[in-house]
Amino acid sequence: MSSLLPLLVAVPIAGALLTLVVGYAADRLGWPLAFASSLLHVALTGYLVVRAYATPDPLRYTVGGFRPPFGIELVVDGFNAAVVGLVAVVAVGVLVYARRAGPHSVAFYTGYLLLVAGLSGMSITGDMFNLYVFLEITGLAAYALVATGDDGRSAVGALKYLLVGTVGASLFLAGIGYAFVATGTLNMADLATKLGEVGYGSTLVRTSFALVVVGLGVKTALYPLHTWQPDAYASAPDSVSGLISALVSTVSAYALARVIYSVYTVEFLSSVAYAREFVLVLAGVSIVAGSLLAVMQTDIKRMLAYSSVSQFGLVVAAFAIANEAAVTGGVVHLVGHAVMKGGLFLAAGAIAMRTGARTVGEFDGLGSRTPLLGAAFAVLSLSMVGVPPAVGFVGKWYIALGAIQSQLWPIAAVILLSTLLTLAYFLRLVERMYFRSGTGAAAGADSPTGTGTATVADGGDDEDPTLGRDDTPTLGRDDDDAFAADDERFGRPSVGMVAVVVVAALLAVVLGPLVSAFEPLLEPTLETLL
Amino acid sequence: MSADEPNDGLVHTEDRTPYVESTIIMTTVRTVAPFILTLGLFVMFHGADSAGGGFQGGAIAGTVVLLLAFAFGIRAVRDWLNPAAVLGLVAAGVGTFLLVAVGSLPLSGEFLQYTAYPVPHASKYGIELVELGIGALVAGVIVGLFFLVAVGFDPGEPLEDEP
Repeated sequence: MSSLLPLLVAVPIAGALLTLVVGYAADRLGWPLAFASSLLHVALTGYLVVRAYATPDPLRYTVGGFRPPFGIELVVDGFNAAVVGLVAVVAVGVLVYARRAGPHSVAFYTGYLLLVAGLSGMSITGDMFNLYVFLEITGLAAYALVATGDDGRSAVGALKYLLVGTVGASLFLAGIGYAFVATGTLNMADLATKLGEVGYGSTLVRTSFALVVVGLGVKTALYPLHTWQPDAYASAPDSVSGLISALVSTVSAYALARVIYSVYTVEFLSSVAYAREFVLVLAGVSIVAGSLLAVMQTDIKRMLAYSSVSQFGLVVAAFAIANEAAVTGGVVHLVGHAVMKGGLFLAAGAIAMRTGARTVGEFDGLGSRTPLLGAAFAVLSLSMVGVPPAVGFVGKWYIALGAIQSQLWPIAAVILLSTLLTLAYFLRLVERMYFRSGTGAAAGADSPTGTGTATVADGGDDEDPTLGRDDTPTLGRDDDDAFAADDERFGRPSVGMVAVVVVAALLAVVLGPLVSAFEPLLEPTLETLL
Repeated sequence: MSADEPNDGLVHTEDRTPYVESTIIMTTVRTVAPFILTLGLFVMFHGADSAGGGFQGGAIAGTVVLLLAFAFGIRAVRDWLNPAAVLGLVAAGVGTFLLVAVGSLPLSGEFLQYTAYPVPHASKYGIELVELGIGALVAGVIVGLFFLVAVGFDPGEPLEDEP
């Protein structure tokens, strides 16, 4: 039943509408409605993903009965089925986390569902202009979500994101325009053949490739184009940081891969001078610069943000290498990074809510103060570094393997170097958490940190009682007492929040061994793409 | 801040925006507003078969409320305007689009397939309906944004910035 494909986009939009209207009348119904829409979205996605992997042919759907290449086509193959599934699952997870962590506004839930709609649309569309439209929907929803934080910082972060993101989207649109002038079509499959007929040497085609790659590079936050990303991630509310870091850049990176393989094709990449080199250099610089900048950060969320710059460099490098091992690694790391980085942001948020620790120094002795959250954070960190058998290791392994198979030694070297740098910035946190006494912890607990972020944590605390009573009181009121021993001034993360973080940590470990089962599912798709 | 009193000779309302009650502006707006609203609808109705559409038409229709606000004062117009009406406009816009899109599925058509509806010239009327929905959405958002921006920020509010 591929006729369910458009509902992947329509259901979150209908949910957003319902949440907006009902939430206007009754504030309390905002979260339950958003959650119900999100669950429906997951069920739908799960069904379609199973169907997509059950048949070797991609699921296709024509919107409005206008036949492609004129109409808009929706396509789900083995490549984007993984991305669609990721979007749905992470969205539900973050929503569970956001129930306590906030923001508790109808505007947030509406924007949240619109973001999910945009991301789903970006993942399943088979039309270049439609991809642009969904890219803008995603972008606008993401800017609005970043701005839902209640201090000036998030407004500035959102504004910067808006300005840089719009430039990126405009470059992408210009690239589509060049390709349209060259071929007269916008359908991806049709473009792939027509671009070949026009000739890869054509200036129009090459210019459009450069514009599209740079445009999506801005959205993916590759190194020189990443400037919006640390501010947006660091200043957004914790739930939003988790969601955006896990999904927005991920889907943009998927879109980049989809455009490279399904529109310009691998043949373009290998036959046009400097096309592959251009993407590889962008990715390589991103890997190294992102890691170096991450090592220099003291704020946890900024550090995680720069780490994303580096990891997406890795993913894009994998897609540019374009052999089977590398692309498998790219998909695995795309999904794995989303789970790990989303989990890390949520864990950092829960830890900050519990202890007020938001900088590297304040992580001293954290392992004994919040054992469960600390352990989850450590597991996610080690997975990100690439410790086997976690998913971070498997992804990097395949990518490095692909680089070596294609004899791209500099990239292979950069990947190994990046692992060392990742170790540098994550291990110092793990070391502080478990092997240092909590002097920093005492300071963090006794003196008010006096920063805006601490005030935000307190603000979240104040909202808790009303919310917990109004909504489902069953969700872990009793278990919270187990955490009550520590500091009264800081809030207590709900069981839902802790559970989401723990599930992310478990997924990071469990997904690693499952990759060998996933690989044969991906293989038929890769054969057609490469 | 040394000078609290602005010395520019204008009447400052509590919004800190100079509002001048001008008979010329009020009369002009009163005369012109119905025509602008008509033009907005005209542009919207031309979405299906000529240069026009919901985005442009909605923007034009939305400016009617902006003009009223300039002529009669932002605060007065905001008090007069029911926020539920603005929200309803937005919701009706999105709802129309969704209904037209999903409604063709039970009629054994595809998503957003206008020709599935048993109506003569279904494609044309379908697009028209969607354009009107978009117009309502755009007009609602423009009006809502305008008043949100007009509220502005309280400069006395401490910025929770940190070194």
